[in-house]
Amino acid sequence: MRSGIFAGLLLATVSAATAFAQGAPIKLADVAELSGGGATVGNNWKNGIDLAIEEINAKGGVLGRKLEVTHADSQSNPGVARAQVQKALDNEPYVLLGPGYSGSVKVTSPLAAEAGITQIMGGEAAELTQGGNKFLFRTSFGQQSSMPKVAKYINDELKAKSVAIVWVNNDFGKGGRDVITKEFAKYNIKVAADLSTEAGQADFAADVSKIKAAAPDAVFVYLNEEESARILKELKRQAVAAPLVGETTLVGQKVVELAGDAANGARGHVGLTTDAPVDLVKAFREKFVKKYNYVPDHNGLKGYLAIYMVKATTEKMGKVDAKKFADTLHGLTIKAASEPGILMDVTFDEKGDIDRQGFLVEIVEGKQVVKQVLPKLN
Amino acid sequence: MTAIGKYWRIALGVAVIAALIIVPMNFNRYGLYILSQWTVMTIAAMGLNLTLGYAGQVSLAQGAFVGIGAYAAAIMTTQGMPLIAALGVAIVLCFAIGWILGYPALRVQHHYLAFVTLAFSTLAFLVFRNEDWLTKGIYGISNIPRPNVLGFATNRPLPFYYFCLGSLGIVSLAMWWLIRSPWGRAFVALRENPVRALSLGIDTRRYTLMAFAIGSALGGVAGTLYAPLTQYIDPVPFNLSLSLDLLMMVIVGGSGFFFGPFLGAMIAVLLPEWLRFTQGYYLMLYAVAVMLLLIYSPTGILGILDRYLTERRTKAASALRAVAKSRLETAP
Repeated sequence: MRSGIFAGLLLATVSAATAFAQGAPIKLADVAELSGGGATVGNNWKNGIDLAIEEINAKGGVLGRKLEVTHADSQSNPGVARAQVQKALDNEPYVLLGPGYSGSVKVTSPLAAEAGITQIMGGEAAELTQGGNKFLFRTSFGQQSSMPKVAKYINDELKAKSVAIVWVNNDFGKGGRDVITKEFAKYNIKVAADLSTEAGQADFAADVSKIKAAAPDAVFVYLNEEESARILKELKRQAVAAPLVGETTLVGQKVVELAGDAANGARGHVGLTTDAPVDLVKAFREKFVKKYNYVPDHNGLKGYLAIYMVKATTEKMGKVDAKKFADTLHGLTIKAASEPGILMDVTFDEKGDIDRQGFLVEIVEGKQVVKQVLPKLN
Repeated sequence: MTAIGKYWRIALGVAVIAALIIVPMNFNRYGLYILSQWTVMTIAAMGLNLTLGYAGQVSLAQGAFVGIGAYAAAIMTTQGMPLIAALGVAIVLCFAIGWILGYPALRVQHHYLAFVTLAFSTLAFLVFRNEDWLTKGIYGISNIPRPNVLGFATNRPLPFYYFCLGSLGIVSLAMWWLIRSPWGRAFVALRENPVRALSLGIDTRRYTLMAFAIGSALGGVAGTLYAPLTQYIDPVPFNLSLSLDLLMMVIVGGSGFFFGPFLGAMIAVLLPEWLRFTQGYYLMLYAVAVMLLLIYSPTGILGILDRYLTERRTKAASALRAVAKSRLETAP
C-alpha cells in the first residue's frame, strides 16, 4: 500500500515536471540597434519580431509552448553588441536574433557559434556567410545574391556600357558597391564614376554634377532611403537622363513619398519589401500598420520572418532542440502554403544564405510597378 | 592626515583590489566583459584626466587616440606580431601625435582648443574609414587574437580580465608616481595659473605639450587593450562620441582627482548596464542621472567627497579655534 502511494506520488511528480517542461515558454534573445545610428533598423526589426510572436502565441505557440523574447539595445556599436550578445548567450536562449548591422554581426557571430546557438540576423554584407559559420542565417538576400541580378539587368535589358555608381560609405553601401563593381567587370561594363557619400548627406549637387560630367549609360544608386530621395530630386533638377537603377532602398514606398515626381522612372531589384506584389506580404503590411501606425521597411519584414523561421524549423524537428536547430535549418525549404508567416517560399542553403523570389520594379506615376518576377532558383 | 586615517585608506585600497580580483571569479562572460571594458575605459580616461584635470587643456581627441591604439594592435597582432610590439608602436605614435596636437594648445584655449581637437578626431575617423589598404575601411578587422602573457593564454574571459586589470594596475602606479613627481606639480601649477607657473621657472610650453603627449599615449594604451577585448574593430566605436564619453567620464568622476577616472568610467560603462532593466528608458534615465549629478556637483563625484572632507576639516579647525579662543579668554 505504502509503496503504491509512493509510486503514485512519484508518477504525479514526474508528470507534473513533464507538463511544466512542455508548458515552459521558449526563450529567444534579440540584440538590435534600438538606439544610435541604426535605431530605425533595430526598431523595425524589433517590432517585426514582437508582431510575429504575438500572432504565434495567440494561436497556441510552437508545439504548444509560448515564445518569449528579450530585447537588448546594441546602441549601434559593435563593442556594446558583443557585450549584449554575451549576456544573451549566458542565459542560454533557444535562438539568438539580430543584430542588423553587418559589423555587429561580425563581432557577435563567433560567440554564438562557440556557444552552439543559432543566430538569425539582418546583416546583408556578402562576407558574413562566407566564413563557414554553421550557426549563422540570413533573413534576406545577401549582396552576393542580389547584386548579380542587378548587374545582369543593367547589361541585358539596359545594354549599358558605362555606369556611374553612387554609394553610402558604410558597411552596407560599400559591400554592395564592391560586389556590383566585380559583376560589372564580368560584363565589361565601365565604371564611369565611383562616388562615395555620407549617411545623412543633405546636398547631392556636387555628386550629380560629377555624374552628369561622366555621361554614363545608367546610374546605380545604393543609398539609404532618405538620401535616395534627395539624390533623385537632385538628378531630376540637373536633368540627368540616364536610367536610374538601385536595390530595395531606391524604390521603396518611403522614397516615393519623399521624392514625389522625381522618383518616377527609378527602377530596382527588390528582395524584401512591403510593396511586393504578394498577398501574404500585403496582409503583413496591414497588420503591422494597424499595430504600430507606420509602414515598416524591409527590416520589419526581416524580424517577422526570423520568428517564422524559428517556428517552421522547430515544427519540422518536432521538438525544441537548440543543438539540432542549425542542422535542420540548413537545406530546409519552407513553403508559404503550409506556413503563411514565411510570406514567400524560401530555401536555406548550407551557408545560411537564402533563395527566394525577387522582383524588378519601376516607379510609374508614383507607384511601384513590377516589371519582372525573378523566380526562386531552386 | 593622521596615521590612523592613512591605515584606513590602505586597508580600503587593499579591500577594493582584493574584491576586483576575487569577486569576478564567479562572474559570467558578460559580467567579465563589462568589467574588462571598465578597466580599458579607465585607462583612457586617466590619460584625459592628465590633459584636462591636471594640465587644464580641453581635448576632444582622446577617442581618436584609443582608435589609433586599437588599430595598431589589430593590424599588428593579426599579422602575427606580439601585442607588446603593438603597445610600443601605439605609445610612440600617440605620444608623437599628441605632442604635435599640443601645439595649438599653446595658442588657443578652452572651446577653441576643443574645436581643434575635434577636427583631429574627425580626421582620424576618416583615416580609419577610408584607408582601406591599412585599416580595411568600413569592413573592419576581425579575428584579433588575445595575447599570451608569460606563457599563459588569455583567450578565456577571466584571464583576459586579469590581464586588463593588471594593465590598469601598472598604469595607475605610473600615474601615481607621475602626479607626485615634480612634473605632476608642474602640470597642476600650469592649470592653476600659467603666468605664475612661468614666473616660477616652469617651462609652460614644454609641460603643456608633455601633458598632451602623455595623456594621448595612455589613450593608445587603452586602445591596444580594446582591440583584443572585442576581437573585432571598425571605425564606428572611435568616432567623436567616444571622445565625448571619455570627457564625461573625467568630469563626472571628478576632473583633477586621481580616482576620478575610475569612478567616471564606472558610471559611464556600468550605470547604463544596470539601468537596462528599464528597457527603452535606460539611456534617458542615465542622461538624467548624469545631468542631476553635474548640477548638484559640477566637480563630479569626488568633488562631493572633497567638499565634504573640506567642510569637516573647516569645522574641526573652527572648533579647535573656538576652544583655543575660550582658553585664551579665560587665561589669567
